[in-house]
Amino acid sequence: MSSLKERRAEFARYKQDVKERGKPFYPHAMFHDTIMALVVVAVIIGLTCIWYFTTSEEPGDAGLLGPRYAEKADPGTISFVPRPDWYFYFLFYLLRIFKWPESVILGTVGIPTILVLLLIALPFVDRRMERRLSRRPIAVIAAALVVASMAVLTWKGATAKENVASEALAEVPQWIEKNKLPAEAEPGAELFAGSGCLNCHVYLGGGAQALGAPDLTDAGAKNRGVEWQIEHLKCPACVNPGSPMPGFAALGDDQLRELAIFLEASKGPGGG
Amino acid sequence: MAGQDEGPAGETPGSGQTHSLPGATFLPFGFAIGVALILIGVVVSWPVFWIGCAVAVLFGLLWVADVVRGGRLPAPRPRPAHDDDDGERFGRDKFLEMSTLGIGALIGGAVTAPVVGFAIAPTFIGQGDDDVDLGPIENYPEGEFRVVTFMSKPEQGQVSTRTVFIRNNGFADGTPSFTIISNRCVHLGCPTQPGGPTSADEAVEVETSSGTVRLIPTLPASFVCPCHGGSYDIEGNRTAGPPVRALDRYTFKIADGNLVLGERYSVGTVEGTGASARIAAYDVYDPGQHVDGPTQWMYPLTPNMGR
Amino acid sequence: MGAPYRRRHARRRQAEAAMLAPVNWVEERSGLVGGIRYFLFRNVPSDISWAQTLGSAALTAFIVQAVTGVILAMYYKPDPDKAYESIQFITNELTWGWLVRGMHRWGASVFIILLFLHMGRVFLFGAYKYPRELNWLIGVGLLALGMLEGFTGYLLPWDQTSYWATVVGINIQASGPFVGPFLANVLRGGAEIGSETLARFYAIHMLLIPGGLIGLIGLHLYLVMRLGVTSPPWSRKAAGRKRDPEAETRRQGLVEPRSRRGWRSGR
Repeated sequence: MSSLKERRAEFARYKQDVKERGKPFYPHAMFHDTIMALVVVAVIIGLTCIWYFTTSEEPGDAGLLGPRYAEKADPGTISFVPRPDWYFYFLFYLLRIFKWPESVILGTVGIPTILVLLLIALPFVDRRMERRLSRRPIAVIAAALVVASMAVLTWKGATAKENVASEALAEVPQWIEKNKLPAEAEPGAELFAGSGCLNCHVYLGGGAQALGAPDLTDAGAKNRGVEWQIEHLKCPACVNPGSPMPGFAALGDDQLRELAIFLEASKGPGGG
Repeated sequence: MAGQDEGPAGETPGSGQTHSLPGATFLPFGFAIGVALILIGVVVSWPVFWIGCAVAVLFGLLWVADVVRGGRLPAPRPRPAHDDDDGERFGRDKFLEMSTLGIGALIGGAVTAPVVGFAIAPTFIGQGDDDVDLGPIENYPEGEFRVVTFMSKPEQGQVSTRTVFIRNNGFADGTPSFTIISNRCVHLGCPTQPGGPTSADEAVEVETSSGTVRLIPTLPASFVCPCHGGSYDIEGNRTAGPPVRALDRYTFKIADGNLVLGERYSVGTVEGTGASARIAAYDVYDPGQHVDGPTQWMYPLTPNMGR
Repeated sequence: MGAPYRRRHARRRQAEAAMLAPVNWVEERSGLVGGIRYFLFRNVPSDISWAQTLGSAALTAFIVQAVTGVILAMYYKPDPDKAYESIQFITNELTWGWLVRGMHRWGASVFIILLFLHMGRVFLFGAYKYPRELNWLIGVGLLALGMLEGFTGYLLPWDQTSYWATVVGINIQASGPFVGPFLANVLRGGAEIGSETLARFYAIHMLLIPGGLIGLIGLHLYLVMRLGVTSPPWSRKAAGRKRDPEAETRRQGLVEPRSRRGWRSGR
């Protein structure tokens, strides 16, 4: 920490140096600023052109940089997956990290407030004159950590997925390709994706990993037959004593058969 | 500098020398009367218009001539000399200072009051839920869930669309019982989805006195939020993720065989299921606000309480 | 202008005087021309680098936002029943509407990126230190207002993305202790998001926050002019650096004189 007297002396030296050895803002610095302004405007127009010419009037047509607009706002939706603009991804992912009810406020208000307070406090905490990076290890490390964590949070936020029906349904074509599913298994796959099975189970890496329910990627590998699958879906504990899975007889025989065909056809990416 | 014809010194003719104020001129008034006659004439009759033109031009020219002759530039008023009596000057300065501050505060208040009254206060007043007619109870088979989409304030249109999960619990003590759960996640308000098959192609649209109500059969094993990983059981209790309480519910009544939606209320936890459920009910809170547990002290008041 | 001048220059001088007359007229009555002259011809350190153009780049992006925003306001309708359709009309039907809306949309992202880069540059250069602490605080305010501007503008297209992002954003606000629920109600214009909310966000987005931004940008620039631009910390001729202690010792004859380049080379 430098004394106020030292800091004033340094600023007086700065003023004198600039006066004696500086160069006029115009045209020297202004030239660089103008080139930079040109780059900024060119980038903005370039992004706009890429965005516009790779999309159509269709709502949700993503193109390269995202759609022109999504579907019209529907406050009653049960299939939309909300996501913020990219520069709030870090905050969005913070909210997912604080997954205990008592800690919600840390993600919503706590950490953003702390960040703003740190920014405000910075010039009052760091009161040394030293500006060379090699002599400011704490500042450099702090900056690197902030940049790294923001980058990681933003990336995690951008790629975050949920085990909800509307997202799982989009994965079905990949399942068919990777698991080499026959055509008759497709209705069952859509039922599986849309019915919340992934709230407990895992299929080809997607779904709830933490609950301990079996990975169903190779549910048909034991070749127990479609009828066994139907019986198991109706009453898991009857055929597999001690199973905590609830029964799904309410789905009805047709849907149960579709599901069973899909499960029986799932032999894993290497099998079948 | 070149190009400056008139120096600053030549710009204040007569200042400090002519102490006699110029006599009041009637010429601008004549000009103004002419303009007034023109305006009246445009509305009433053209002769008046032309007379006005003549008067305005005449007095206008005279006025310009008068000004150009230079006799009429108002001389600066002599500044009142400062009184040498310190005590009296202090009193006067103090008075001016206090009245300036006071008048300023008055103006500030006059401008701020409408902001508070007009822009802020209405957001806390009169927001009760209207009753919504959800159609005949025959549409709600016993023991099954329906995803029901309706307009909570039909006069506001599509923006008031809301979705609830409704299950008919049959009869309890001779009165019908319904479980009506809001689909808004109580973490931060995202739209939860039923964790189970939802047959959108079997949707039924019912016309009621509150507009079109859409019913979709569903077989949920849970309710799941697509934003931050919250999930709930079919009574709305939190099972995983950040939600701070159970999903909100609605009161209901039966009128003429129709299910009528009442007020929304917040729920701490639900014990038991269906008609025999014991519900810890609270006033409406926003998502993210605890109604029970150690952190409820953070929300001692909410603007929508007791509505 | 006391020097004698030649006759063939007389006409040119007359033309120059005629051209300068309006400038002089303004200068005499406002002093503004002198201010602009000071702004343009003030000295800056001779070693400033490309990194120091990020602030003016952010200003450029802001100006793009202001201009395109004004044009968009002529066609946009802040009403839940019409907003989405007016956005579709601007994007698909209006001549060059896609360009104006696209520039506003992508300009917002570029503006935010540049704010962050500019802040990072100031941090690494240590340019927030005495006597520039106040300007750092103003910059923090600008960053906060910029992100608020992004948040309020995000709702305006009234599509699914914007609606639900706003629901979450307002509820984040509502989870703040004690005053959170009240702030959320003021933002929403009621207990639920509706037509009030859209009009409110529109007014905040295009009047309240831009007003604040313009005011703070003016202050920010004033302080930059008053306090000057910092040299890069790694520069060998950094303005204001303490005179080389080695040179002091050398003058006392304790060590061999070495190269005298270094901070003096700019002389």
